Amino acid sequence: MGAGSGGEQAGGPGGADSLASQEAAQQRRTGDSVTRRSTGLAEGDEPSDDELLDEPLSVWRLAMRRFFRRKLGVLGLAIVTLLALVALTAPIIAPYDPIQQLDRVEGTDVARRDAPSAEHLLGLDSNARDQLSRIIYGARLSLPLGVSIVLAAIIVGASIGAIAGFFGGWLDTILMRLMDVILGFPALVLAIAIAYVLGNAIQNVLIAVAVVTLPQYARVMRASVLSIKEVDFVAASEALGASSWRMLRTRILPNALTPLIVLGTLGIAGAILEAAALSFLGLGAQPPTPEWGSMLAQEYTLIRTYPHLVIYPGLAIMVTVLGFNLLGDGLRDALDPSLNE
Amino acid sequence: MIGYALKRISTAIPVLFGVVVAVFLLPRVVGGDPCRSVLGPRATAASCQQFAEANGLDQPVLQQFLTYIGNIFRGDFGESIKFSRPVMEVLFERLPLTAELALSALLLAIAVGIPLGVAAARWHNSPVDVATMAFANVGVSMPIFWLGLMLSYLFAVVLGDTWLALPPTGRFSAGLSPQPFYEVWGWTITDTSVGGGLLRFMSRFAIFNTVVSGQWTELKDALQHLVLPTVALSTIPMAVIARMTRSSLLDVLGQDYVRTAAAKGARQPRVIRRHALRNALLPVVTIIGLQLGALLGGAVLTETIFSLAGIGTALFDAIDTRDFPIVQGFTLFIASTYVVVNLLVDLSYGYLDPRVRLQ
Amino acid sequence: MRTRRRLSAVLLVGALVLAACGGGDETETADSESPAAAPTGSDTGSGSEAPPPASGEAETTMVANEAGCGDNKVESIEATSDTEVVFTLCSPDPAFLQKIAFVVFAIQPSEYLAETGGAPLEAPVGTGPFVLENWNRGSEITFTRNQDYWGEAPAFETLVFRWAEESAQRITEVQSGNAQYGTNISAPDYELVNADDNLVLLEDLNPNVFYMGFTNTFEPFDNPDVRRAIAMGIDRQRIVDTYYPEGSEVPDFFTPCQIENGCVGDPWYDFDPEAAQALLADAGYPDGFDTTIHLRDVFRVYLPEPQTVAQEIQTQLAENLNINAEINVMESGAFIGEVSEGNLDGIHLLGWGADYPHVTNFLDYHFAGNVQFGDPYPDIVSALAEGAAEVDPAAAEPIYEEVNNLIRDEVPMVPIAHGAAADVASASLGNASVPPFGAPQFKTFQPEADPLVFVQNAEPISLYCSDESDGESLSACEQVLEGLYQYDAEGNAVPALAEECAPNEDGTVWTCSLREGVTFHDGSDFDAGDVVATWAAGMDASSPLHTGNTGGFEYYTYLWGGLMNAPAVEPTEGATETATSTETGSETTSEAPTGSETPTESES
Repeated sequence: MGAGSGGEQAGGPGGADSLASQEAAQQRRTGDSVTRRSTGLAEGDEPSDDELLDEPLSVWRLAMRRFFRRKLGVLGLAIVTLLALVALTAPIIAPYDPIQQLDRVEGTDVARRDAPSAEHLLGLDSNARDQLSRIIYGARLSLPLGVSIVLAAIIVGASIGAIAGFFGGWLDTILMRLMDVILGFPALVLAIAIAYVLGNAIQNVLIAVAVVTLPQYARVMRASVLSIKEVDFVAASEALGASSWRMLRTRILPNALTPLIVLGTLGIAGAILEAAALSFLGLGAQPPTPEWGSMLAQEYTLIRTYPHLVIYPGLAIMVTVLGFNLLGDGLRDALDPSLNE
Repeated sequence: MIGYALKRISTAIPVLFGVVVAVFLLPRVVGGDPCRSVLGPRATAASCQQFAEANGLDQPVLQQFLTYIGNIFRGDFGESIKFSRPVMEVLFERLPLTAELALSALLLAIAVGIPLGVAAARWHNSPVDVATMAFANVGVSMPIFWLGLMLSYLFAVVLGDTWLALPPTGRFSAGLSPQPFYEVWGWTITDTSVGGGLLRFMSRFAIFNTVVSGQWTELKDALQHLVLPTVALSTIPMAVIARMTRSSLLDVLGQDYVRTAAAKGARQPRVIRRHALRNALLPVVTIIGLQLGALLGGAVLTETIFSLAGIGTALFDAIDTRDFPIVQGFTLFIASTYVVVNLLVDLSYGYLDPRVRLQ
Repeated sequence: MRTRRRLSAVLLVGALVLAACGGGDETETADSESPAAAPTGSDTGSGSEAPPPASGEAETTMVANEAGCGDNKVESIEATSDTEVVFTLCSPDPAFLQKIAFVVFAIQPSEYLAETGGAPLEAPVGTGPFVLENWNRGSEITFTRNQDYWGEAPAFETLVFRWAEESAQRITEVQSGNAQYGTNISAPDYELVNADDNLVLLEDLNPNVFYMGFTNTFEPFDNPDVRRAIAMGIDRQRIVDTYYPEGSEVPDFFTPCQIENGCVGDPWYDFDPEAAQALLADAGYPDGFDTTIHLRDVFRVYLPEPQTVAQEIQTQLAENLNINAEINVMESGAFIGEVSEGNLDGIHLLGWGADYPHVTNFLDYHFAGNVQFGDPYPDIVSALAEGAAEVDPAAAEPIYEEVNNLIRDEVPMVPIAHGAAADVASASLGNASVPPFGAPQFKTFQPEADPLVFVQNAEPISLYCSDESDGESLSACEQVLEGLYQYDAEGNAVPALAEECAPNEDGTVWTCSLREGVTFHDGSDFDAGDVVATWAAGMDASSPLHTGNTGGFEYYTYLWGGLMNAPAVEPTEGATETATSTETGSETTSEAPTGSETPTESES
């Protein structure tokens, strides 16, 4: 068996992701800087209840303005938008059928692994299929996969974090220790194991990667809950008889939203890397499905003789991950005003 | 502080226990057949049954687990199914290479990452900043495995005939095997002594070994072989450190006392050096500690691409052949290193920043 | 100061955690180890350091199966004098010489086996052209020339074995001058070698076959017409032309033609998609059916690109026969396990590389009672039993003609390709060639400079090859160890440590007269006692020296119908399975159907 890609971690899944999770861990240590800063806003302004209700709107508007001032963030948004368009229009823009072996077509003069040419911009793969078309169709798989992994991880992780933070005590201890155990693992190894147990299929990749990434969302959510709980006005509204649910909805969620959006965007990048790594190990999409990780896996030994078969699928992964990373970074800068003073 | 340390250590213990449980269970639920991988495809069902008995694989999983836990507390990590050698022996044989690789990658990441981050913060929103952040983002966006392939393609094939050529695989060139330093010094060691084992272990650190014994040709060769894997492995931590340095420094630069210093007329390089950097580096140190754990994991892939016989390749082969004792022992080692490093980072942080302790 | 104290307390705790991981227990484990594990690291292998053999020691002179033959092939092995060993077999074995030439049966000194407790895993002591000097785990193995070699000593002093997983890496090593010889170049890399004047491509003729197998206990593969339709509906020529390296062939028979009596009988079906579709329609599948293609993603000479070829076959099944197949890539060990128990519903892609040059190695393993293809085909089983008893190749020819025709008719599998392979060598390396069996014979090579560096695919597992089965371990052993016979450059079994092994009339007793004046690398003399001791350690399960690495001794088990004096297997449910799948060709066909019931039972 060969090697895996993108599993550059012991602590956090995927490069970008480990970045995100480590910064999350860092925030925990430094007193939850992200959340502290956003609550810091409230503290500094001595807000009345009304102002607080208005504030998310204006914050968002401000954030938008800040976001579009940053070139890299905008570049990230452009890349992601472009890729989304590619994925949506794949059947129209792909020049060939991604699973058709072109050397079987009568009257053609192509051989497998042909180098890039005018007809086949990225060349042909080992089964004489058009590589450009396969990479285009690959976007149809990787993008939705990355997004759904993160959504699943956020929904489950944030619920765990909210419960832990809200109720505290032994429930908190148990849940967060469980999260620590997941984090205490080389994520790729854990993801491999989960994917193996569930069997080779793309939806199992989703579950495996979501499980190994959910602790970071749980931590962020819990930190948000805790920091809000400490703020006086919550105690006040509690005293006034506001229900837990209302507090969660009106106070905690808006507060946790910022870090969750930032982490989530960066998390998509990590999830795509991680999913590619699992496919690379033969645990994801089965052939002949065009999936970047498995394309790389099938051809990576040909780096010296047919570099085009290794360079382009890797490049596709890189550009996609980069897009989400830049976007996430831009969002972080935009949503975190303390960096803009 | 002691109270905080005890509390923090007590939380690490259940994590370690959870890791042990998971490390034991995962390879078993993963499935696969160690027999055919080890004995070869010609193995008959009868010999597979004997094989399972001999390795205790026919026992109920719970019983296997209890035995395993018991053995761990006696310091016995079992024997590799494939090699019939103690797991710890294999680990100590493989660890020096991985440690060397991880440490050199970490050093490179720090040496490049911090200056980049400082430069980006110093010239905030300038082209330097944009370029640094672009680099950092590209760095964390690459599959490390693919980066390794690209590097070896570039330096061993494209530049193969130039002075920039670098060896794509292995720890030494063929035929070049440095003598252990203790032999160079004329020491003789016995096989079973603890000291002898330690010396052998030390002599497996190729750079250390060649430096202390003055084997310069071998040292040069060892360093050349280390370049590409180190660069591949350091890219991600380098990007992480650069980003962390930048954002942390920007954070500090925005704080009152720094602004005061600036207002009092201190020039910016001086402000950064004298006032801001020291405080800004606190979180960076934390991140660096965390990277060490991540590097151990990243080494798995790097070693595979560059054919290096470290713990990564051994773990990979063991997963492939379902050599459970090796998978368990090695994963446990990596995971507990990670937990312990985390613990140390937390404790040192708690010491340096008293606010953390109070939480 | 307070800082330091605290930090050291922290470190202490860390050390405790690490100590729990066994850091300090190295010596204890080493002590409690069997003597075999005692030599470690760099001080292994210097054979000259081993104590001189005690003269006149009492040696075992005979090893025999106490309980009679049973399923076993060997009844006894006896040293009748210092220079003569007699093998008494339970039934005639036409492939006896070809089997004993396999390096797994190479001879080591009896004293050394005893000294190492039957597990000389790291430092083999042999009679071969090279002496093991040092095995530097993880990086390389060094051998030096055996000055006292009984044959012609090598022309160079030092031989180094290294390893690199990828074909391209091995080429780079040779290209850069770091190595002179690399194994198993993958087909796409041929161009790299051909484009470089300093490199030569050496053709490797190891006989092999790649096939797609059907398990006849699953629908619709229980229908012979379905199997025949697939046999006609696969364009094998296209597969070989497109996906296999030059020199590969489209098989007319399961067994390659290099093997005597391998290709006699009617050649395979021609590619005819119309006829195939008609046959499939007659069998009741006019619109095809759904099935699964199972495979493992493991590179072998017979299947150089598993996934690519699987996708080609998938496409052909769809286009030529309207059969819709999904691809299922499995973990290697699990795949082999499921295949050998006949559990895979659908088509499995597998192949076979010859162990020794005899037709029985191909046919008997697969078709003489093996449940791999579901219920064994009784007519094939009985014909093979007849062939296995015939020592004279000429007399066996009509039998194998019949067997091949029966296989063609029943189609338990479709042979797709005989794969060609190649090694790479530096053009300056004189006399380099690849034998069809075993490792390159470096003793005959003429390198321009010392040392000669060889790059293979992986590191050996251990160097006690009696208990290893991977090619990488075996090729290292072959430089150091020799058996009674060995393979020459053409793949024939020729005498080595024996002057000759001659059969009696019915081929059941083989008398080997041994070469005299041969010494082992530790200085001890080679004699008949060493032969018996080596075989006993490998084959006699009751021997105290039957230790080995894993203790599996796979080739002793597999080539000689099981081990001698093996403890009776408890009659558990597992044992039923065991008994049926270890059946050999000599089993009567009437029992064959039980073979199919067992896997079904084990499923539940």
